Amino acid sequence: MPRILVIEDDDVTAREIAAELISHGIDVDTIANGSEGLLRAADPRYDAITLDMMLPGMDGLSVVTQLRALGVTTPVLMISALCDVDERVRGLRAGGDDYLTKPFAPDEMLARVEVLLRRHRPQSSQTVLAVADLELDLVRHVARRAGKELSLLPTEFKLLEFLMRHAGQVLTRTMIFETVWGFHFDPGTNLIDVHIGRLRRKIDVTGLAPLIHTVRGSGYSLAQND
Amino acid sequence: MIYGVFFALWGGVVIGLIYWQAASYLGRVSDDLIGRQAAYFSMLDEPTRLRALKDYDTLETRRLNAWGEFDARGNYLSGTITALPAHIPINGDVALLSEGVSRNDVSGNDHGRVRAAAVRLRDGRVLMITRDTSIVDRIGTIVLQALLWGLSLTVIPGFFGGWLLSRGPWRRVHAIREATLPIMQGNLSRRLPVGRRGDELDMLAGIVNAMLDEIERLLGEVKGVCDNIAHDLRTPLTRLRSRLYRLQQQFGENSDEAAAIDACMIDTDALLDRFRALLRISELENQRRRVGFDEVDLAEILREVHALYLPLAEDRGQQLALELPALPPIHADRHLLLEALSNLVGNAIKFTPSGGLVEIRARPAEDGPWVDVSDSGPGIPPDQRDAVIRRFYRAESSRSTPGSGLGLSIVNAIARLHGYTLEIAGSERGARLSLHCIEARVA
Repeated sequence: MPRILVIEDDDVTAREIAAELISHGIDVDTIANGSEGLLRAADPRYDAITLDMMLPGMDGLSVVTQLRALGVTTPVLMISALCDVDERVRGLRAGGDDYLTKPFAPDEMLARVEVLLRRHRPQSSQTVLAVADLELDLVRHVARRAGKELSLLPTEFKLLEFLMRHAGQVLTRTMIFETVWGFHFDPGTNLIDVHIGRLRRKIDVTGLAPLIHTVRGSGYSLAQND
Repeated sequence: MIYGVFFALWGGVVIGLIYWQAASYLGRVSDDLIGRQAAYFSMLDEPTRLRALKDYDTLETRRLNAWGEFDARGNYLSGTITALPAHIPINGDVALLSEGVSRNDVSGNDHGRVRAAAVRLRDGRVLMITRDTSIVDRIGTIVLQALLWGLSLTVIPGFFGGWLLSRGPWRRVHAIREATLPIMQGNLSRRLPVGRRGDELDMLAGIVNAMLDEIERLLGEVKGVCDNIAHDLRTPLTRLRSRLYRLQQQFGENSDEAAAIDACMIDTDALLDRFRALLRISELENQRRRVGFDEVDLAEILREVHALYLPLAEDRGQQLALELPALPPIHADRHLLLEALSNLVGNAIKFTPSGGLVEIRARPAEDGPWVDVSDSGPGIPPDQRDAVIRRFYRAESSRSTPGSGLGLSIVNAIARLHGYTLEIAGSERGARLSLHCIEARVA
């Protein structure tokens, strides 16, 4: 069972995070103080950390900087009330792995934490990703579904790679937009849907079991349905 | 200017009056004098008269006065005047001889105007006495010259001084106009220049500045209230959304309840999007620092935006064209520029009907490249072009289209942060929005 350290001084937010994570089978420890949080964060048993930027004792930016200086590689999700791009850049530069602005939807937070958890597990230097009969050769840049080669545009390839790397996880539109395109703004509701729709038409051709699923209210996930 | 002309006219009238008064007085005096002299001489008998006239000549050192005796037919007998003018009345009345008289005591070329009185003596001879009035004329000339000099000495420095005096205020008014331009464009942090003189203009500028302070404060308050509302409502809205989400999880994937909750969540998301956009604008407006500004390849950004929106346009049956000439790199924040251009293109796609055309075109220019995004939508009426950049404004005809109505405000905020301008025009088909990436001349 994964274990997560939540460093958050706002009681309501902390409870919200904990409730969402626990309901998805994740163990949670909560700390409301920056310096105390730093001590606990060094514990290698944690699989990921959510870190508020504004904390009593020591601010989030210093916590993550010190953590990285100590050689701790536990993935950190920075949570901040500031949605400023500069703030995001600073957080990620200091060693944060992802950045989420308050207020956030719990499912968005959960999706991001799950991606971090996956990242933390020793990532096999796979050159071929496979989900059911869908194959993605990262070296030769070839995608196959049921043995048939798919012609994908570069963006579609990147999108599929992201979905496949996190197969079985819910990926929100924002996460997809941030990771695949590297953009940090609100692109409007249906832009990502259109891109997913294209990819879907190429992968989930009629006669084959659909692999890309819409998760109502959240985003998408790529998985083999049971 | 007008005052100068009035002054000159009035000065002319005054000096002319003085001249006329002096001339007529002097004329009267000399007329009186020669009239009396003629009458006096005519009363004397011949030897006494000739002696008196001789003395008269001797006393007359300035050669102003002259006399002459002529016989009844007008032939010269004696005196300093050698010829009797033909048309002079011989009755003691004073007449003006503008051509002068010929005299034997002064060199011939001095034929100034004279006033003359001629009387018939008892023996039938004619005695004429003249007085040179050129002194009056000379006074006239002096007065006239004084007038001209006086006028030129007062009017020319007057005009020059007036010009100098008016140039100062003109320059200040010009400076004030320069200062109001950015204020009119919405930069309320600017103020009118106030000098140290404390004159009327400074007082006026001070009043306007105080007014601007108040307007800025009020606007800031309104904006602050807006931002606070947006900020405060975001948290409960997010909670509402997560409650809905959890509720939805409890129902089956394809149940009616889940579908109804989904609709609620879509509405909540729309609300959240709107608040996010509002806060984003105010964040951009408050961001004065030039963090993250770098050399940016505009063409590459446009290609990215084109690729990002191409599927959306194609899904809507639209053409999305990209026209890219060679462009020099510009100094900008890559992420913000991407956001602005995405908004422009997304906006154009949104308002273009199916089967329409959206064109992204870059044009290099001397002061920085232009990016035109034109569409074949309904267009924006000229009187609404300024308004669409304002928060929440949407053209009357587009009320039914979903969206926050804040896209162009975000573009405008980003443009202003860069010192770029956003221009809205009509094209032959629909609307054309142009972002002018004005290159700041930085060393």
